[in-house]
Amino acid sequence: MLRGFYTAASGMMTQQSRQDVLSNNMANALTPGYKADQTTMRAFPEMLIERTDSKQLPVHHSVNIPNNKLIGSLNTGVYMQETIPDFGQGDLKETGMSTDLAIWNGQMPDDTGSLFYTIQNQDGGTSYTRNGNFTIDANGFLVTNSGHYVLDEGGNQIQVNNDEFNVTRNGEIQANGGVTPLGIVYHPNAAQDFTKGNNDLYNLEEDGEAPVNARNAGGVTFEVRQGMIERSNVDTTQTRTEMLQTYRNFEANQQVLKAYDKSMDMAVNQIGRLR
Amino acid sequence: MRSSYLAATTMGQLQQKLNLIGHNLSNSSTTGYKARTANFSSLLHQQINQNGIDGEAPRQTPEGLRQGTGAKLGHTKVRMDAGTITQTERPLDVALSGEKHFFQVQVTENGAAETQYTRAGNFYLQPINNNQQVSLVTAQGNPVIGENGPIVLQSDMDEISIQDNGNILVRRGEQQQVEASLEVMEIDRPRSLETAGGNRYRIPDNVPAAGMTAVAPDPGLHVGALESSNVDMGEEMTNMLEMQRAYQMNSQSISMGDQMAGLINQLRS
Repeated sequence: MLRGFYTAASGMMTQQSRQDVLSNNMANALTPGYKADQTTMRAFPEMLIERTDSKQLPVHHSVNIPNNKLIGSLNTGVYMQETIPDFGQGDLKETGMSTDLAIWNGQMPDDTGSLFYTIQNQDGGTSYTRNGNFTIDANGFLVTNSGHYVLDEGGNQIQVNNDEFNVTRNGEIQANGGVTPLGIVYHPNAAQDFTKGNNDLYNLEEDGEAPVNARNAGGVTFEVRQGMIERSNVDTTQTRTEMLQTYRNFEANQQVLKAYDKSMDMAVNQIGRLR
Repeated sequence: MRSSYLAATTMGQLQQKLNLIGHNLSNSSTTGYKARTANFSSLLHQQINQNGIDGEAPRQTPEGLRQGTGAKLGHTKVRMDAGTITQTERPLDVALSGEKHFFQVQVTENGAAETQYTRAGNFYLQPINNNQQVSLVTAQGNPVIGENGPIVLQSDMDEISIQDNGNILVRRGEQQQVEASLEVMEIDRPRSLETAGGNRYRIPDNVPAAGMTAVAPDPGLHVGALESSNVDMGEEMTNMLEMQRAYQMNSQSISMGDQMAGLINQLRS
């Protein structure tokens, strides 16, 4: 049996999935606050190959005794194990709109730590986002560019009435004579507990560790910049290069598959052929 | 090929943004035009569940694979910052000074009159009722609404001028008096306005008209001047180049997806 058939096919399927993820990153190269997905490939768990054989003992009543022998381990292909968002800071771009708010990461105690705005999702629950391209709805509430309410520190919607408000560097909105601190949370390892949803929202896994208020988290510093958006952290040059690499990898696997097919052709049509 | 579909979706949205930029550029010299901007937002991430694989390495993310499906254009915003004031010295040209101020215009569409709002202050006089009267209209011919409804004056005038408080001063022979007055509205949340075409906006039906008040023009109207469009050509051109490149990048995703499909097709040849 030609095991490599399936190995090469799994290679093709994996490269195809990778291409999908890379294309999606490319598609979101202009989405504010978008965090590029990275993929991890993993070999299928090793399989132990054993030869099954039996030996006939040269005695009167022939006795068969098993003669199994370990050949060694074999990997049977590859699969895409994870898509991990890279929570690195994106560049800031000035827009001059008072409703564009960008988070600038300062010091963080964990390498994997990340900061988010808190958003009320369509189910009334809390979701998180990095896309600070906000706007004001018809009732004067601060909303995301897909219409979800932006929440303050206490989890309430923020009514700013109009776009004449100031946001301080520590994320406090000065509007209507009052001060409302924006809800900004810190998670020490967001990739582990957050899943990407629709409209740049991140949702907390059911058994995930809830993020904490960034202002109370020890050693966390950040700045909120008004009139700026955080650009997507997709590096188009790198993504394009990876796409080319993925394409060639796919092609190489296809060639291997074709080579196996040739061997199979030989096995089926040439062996034992009468001339 | 998933990648081809998501790239195609995104290209459609990029085209929308290009249309928006094109619209801004073509209105770069429209009086009182306000540039519109839009940003992208990511589309749904699909969760693809893998069958549990024994002996898997510790994961860094929750179970399953999440793959995105492209990007879409989010909310379109109107930039309300004032355009530059250009002096024309024409007596019926008026520019608003407050950023949230609007003139009121009466628009009759399909027999129903509606009040709409505009920033364009290039007004004209249009004869009505067998040249007995004149009506103050916008460049599209829609009557301008003053404090007492549409502004209509008797036509035998010698001189007409608009004062910086909105009063319309008419001279007939030796007599000079205020015969009508422009009414300026302040709209607190101009982003909730809907574009009605012809450089006008309307208040959508489902939106409370809250935040709209009649105000005295303060610091005063600029008479004999027009507000230019606030489109920044440099910025729009840069955005356009950026969009074109993004368009190309996504079309490459499609062609790559196609080539990969081709490779699958060639497996048996």
